[in-house]
Amino acid sequence: MTLNLCVLTPNRIVWDSEVKEIILSTNSGQIGILPNHAPIATAVDIGILRIRLTDQWLTMALMGGFARIGNNEITVLVNDAEKGSDIDPQEAQQTLEVAEANLSKAEGKRQTIEANLALRRARTRVEALNMIS
Amino acid sequence: MWVSSKPSLSDASALSFRSFLNPFQVPSHNSTSCNPSRSVTPIHCGLRELRERIDSVKNTQKITEAMKLVAAAKVRRAQEAVVNGRPFSETLVEVLYNINEQLQTEDVDVPLTKVRPVKKVCLVVVTGDRGLCGNFNNQLIKKAEARMAELRGLGLDYTVISVGKKGNTYFRRRPYIPVDKFLEGGSLPTAKEAQAIADDVFSFFVSEEVDKVELLYTKFVSLVKSDPVIHTLLPLSPKGEICDINGTCVDAAEDEFFRLTTREGKLTVERDVVRTQTVDFSPILQFEQDPVQILDALLPLYLNSQILRALQESLASELAARMSAMSSASDNASELKKSLSLVYNRQRQAKITGEILEIVAGANAQI
Repeated sequence: MTLNLCVLTPNRIVWDSEVKEIILSTNSGQIGILPNHAPIATAVDIGILRIRLTDQWLTMALMGGFARIGNNEITVLVNDAEKGSDIDPQEAQQTLEVAEANLSKAEGKRQTIEANLALRRARTRVEALNMIS
Repeated sequence: MWVSSKPSLSDASALSFRSFLNPFQVPSHNSTSCNPSRSVTPIHCGLRELRERIDSVKNTQKITEAMKLVAAAKVRRAQEAVVNGRPFSETLVEVLYNINEQLQTEDVDVPLTKVRPVKKVCLVVVTGDRGLCGNFNNQLIKKAEARMAELRGLGLDYTVISVGKKGNTYFRRRPYIPVDKFLEGGSLPTAKEAQAIADDVFSFFVSEEVDKVELLYTKFVSLVKSDPVIHTLLPLSPKGEICDINGTCVDAAEDEFFRLTTREGKLTVERDVVRTQTVDFSPILQFEQDPVQILDALLPLYLNSQILRALQESLASELAARMSAMSSASDNASELKKSLSLVYNRQRQAKITGEILEIVAGANAQI
């Protein structure tokens, strides 16, 4: 049985091909999905997605969204997705530092919400990088 | 007759003729001022000056012509962006529909759908980055002003998030309008720009600083028509907005998109209305989390795609407005060029005739 993964963002289709296994970070923790998984719908947190092709693992940073699994067909809808290999390490590290600084400076409820979101996104990108190396 | 009644004004009229040499004016204006029958005597401008004017009009025409073509090519790109985003929006609508079905009976409480008594409204005003596109930007800013006056009339507070350079300069010059943020549009709207706006709007709404968010943008109707519209972004209504109880979809499932085509050598626009197929939910499908949590994850996506759509429509309208403005400018330029070269040729002919007469007279006097 083959498992098909489809990662969609508002701009483009990031991934649409066959995979062996994926590990998805959902709101209630990471789940691994193998072929013939039971049909489920889940919210996807800001976090990393790991994809296994035959014997090679790939990472992708997902910026929050939704996934539907059923009939050996995984559809992931996210705001933004970046392959680990496409992320610029320096830039990601810098963004993380800026985000951390912003959070410590944030005043009021609104700024804190914004800064927290930015920080989580930045952290995920750095994590996706570290996964590879 | 006209000349003899105001002989002293001949200099002034020559000046005013010069100021009329503007290719962006309506053709009727040009044709009256350049009408040779009236302007033959009063214009004292030399042949060389006339030639220079003709050249400058020619250059302007080239520029406007090029801008028109560039705008046409960009409309095509904008349309591609819409097409690329369609798999996402289709799947999103399908899933939202299904989850709504499941939540029909439950009482949902999601922050983004909470309807509060409105005290403060946030207006997101989407304008273009560049000018030379007719009344595109003015139209929208006027609409925004009207809405602000309306809100003031109702005694409500408001704040503005301005997207696009033109709107930014407008609001910067008017410090009495409370503006929260100035954002730049960028050449082609992507999810990143939409995300920036969505983040802002989201934190604004969730922190209860504003109770309603409205999006003002220009809806793309056709290449010659676009309407400024006001669209309520937040609170999202999980039921009414997507599908009503009978399962007929109101807004989201009707995915309209535009397509630029060439018909008989002319550019035309086709608009397609695509109804997304809503497939029945597999009954054994389980929710990993609470349906409410899933809705919570989905609605920001929906918010994002709504904003992205508005940005794309706005860009398409801007380009279309520029296309038509530039094509009428090139038309005017060619008309002006025509009447100017008529005047030029007449003057040249008159000069030659005068010279011949002089030579003949001189020769006659010699004999």
